[in-house]
Amino acid sequence: MQLQFGQVLAYVPDFLAGACLALAIAFVAFVIGLTIGLLGASLHQFGPRPVRLAVRAYVSFFTNTPQLVQIFFLFFALPEFGVTLSPVQAVLIGMSVNAGAYLTEIQRAGFQSVRQAEIDAAVTLGFSRVQLVWHVIAPHVVKALYPALSNQYIIMTLGTSMAAIFGVEELTGRALNANAISFRSIEIFSLAALIYIGMTIVASGILFGLGRWLFRIRAGA
Amino acid sequence: MLSQLLAEAPRFFTYYNLVFLGQAALNTLLVSLVGCLVGYLAGFLVATARLPQVMPWSPVRGAMLLWTETFRRIPFLVLLMLVFFGFQLSGAQASLFTTAVTAVALRMSALAAENVRAGYESVNPRQWEAALTMNLAPLSALFRIVLPQAWRVILPPSTIHTVSMIKETSLVSQIGFLELTFAARMLNQRGFSALICFGTVLVLYFLISWSFAQVGHYAERRLVHGTRAGQGTLRPVGSIA
Repeated sequence: MQLQFGQVLAYVPDFLAGACLALAIAFVAFVIGLTIGLLGASLHQFGPRPVRLAVRAYVSFFTNTPQLVQIFFLFFALPEFGVTLSPVQAVLIGMSVNAGAYLTEIQRAGFQSVRQAEIDAAVTLGFSRVQLVWHVIAPHVVKALYPALSNQYIIMTLGTSMAAIFGVEELTGRALNANAISFRSIEIFSLAALIYIGMTIVASGILFGLGRWLFRIRAGA
Repeated sequence: MLSQLLAEAPRFFTYYNLVFLGQAALNTLLVSLVGCLVGYLAGFLVATARLPQVMPWSPVRGAMLLWTETFRRIPFLVLLMLVFFGFQLSGAQASLFTTAVTAVALRMSALAAENVRAGYESVNPRQWEAALTMNLAPLSALFRIVLPQAWRVILPPSTIHTVSMIKETSLVSQIGFLELTFAARMLNQRGFSALICFGTVLVLYFLISWSFAQVGHYAERRLVHGTRAGQGTLRPVGSIA
């Protein structure tokens, strides 16, 4: 048996297009997840007790079960009730809700790190709850939690690979297809792995630079 | 929704199905725990070989850095496929269990290496200098001076990593290893509704990983109380960004 990369190189443009789709899925899911997380953390902070318990149950359920099984549930169980999702929809909803739980947890920690004096000042100035969250707490959270948030984004970029299982043709999906056609398994999956490594290194670099530029902080290795 | 569940439950929760699910849960636990154990040992070696005090040759340190960065940045599914086809290519008759454990261990080795490195870095470098000046051999300085101070930082994230690996093993169903996710798909294909199959498995996963997280919290409170282990809470250890 020999490794032959020549034949596989023809797949590079196809794979790169898949990588773009993966990045898009990760980005959309991250933005939705961030919104859910902000909402969840605000409800946890300011809501009445039942709401707080509900948020805690949501976080604890979604962070303690595998994302893959959550998406399986969405994809296979909802059609039994007449809600049929396309693979991309199922993956996007699953990833967003899952990320929402992690991001709620991350932002909850950020909420608790806002200084009481800042909140008091905003309340004295007559800010409403929504204004308080949006103008005072959110900027603080984004700055204080920038490393944790960018880490979550990278994890989600890698997490898009499970969309392949549902037939979405992102990078891993295309690798599986190419594998079925050419049987050059090792070469194909090494190529996919290399693209993932490149993708996350570039994303890390961009996030690091962005963090430096926006907040003058170090976003990690 | 509820009436359907109730109607189906007696047909689903039979003795044989429960034994089947129990075996699958055991397989999930076995793969993730054995993989994590091997991975943790490997990660410890990798992190230690990255210490300039212990490993004087920079090419080896570079190789260890490459190892960590590579296995941290490959999605688990792709890693699994690489291991699966790699065993096939090498002609080794590896069982599905071996394949799955290898993939988990490779991934864990990278996560653990970062985690152990964070622990090493939390120790003041003067401690190293003092120990080496006192003519301790590098390895004995590591085991007698540095590790006793570092393990407080190393321990708490390791339970988090173990829990996350238990969840990641759901992807092992893709190569046909019979663990919880695969069991749910099989039961679903035997005609039980997806609601009850995946719902049950979700609850089982929750019970497993939640109880592991509780053990982790307990150990953390018990062992690391009042030390600087808490300082890492805002920035997750093992972050890749």
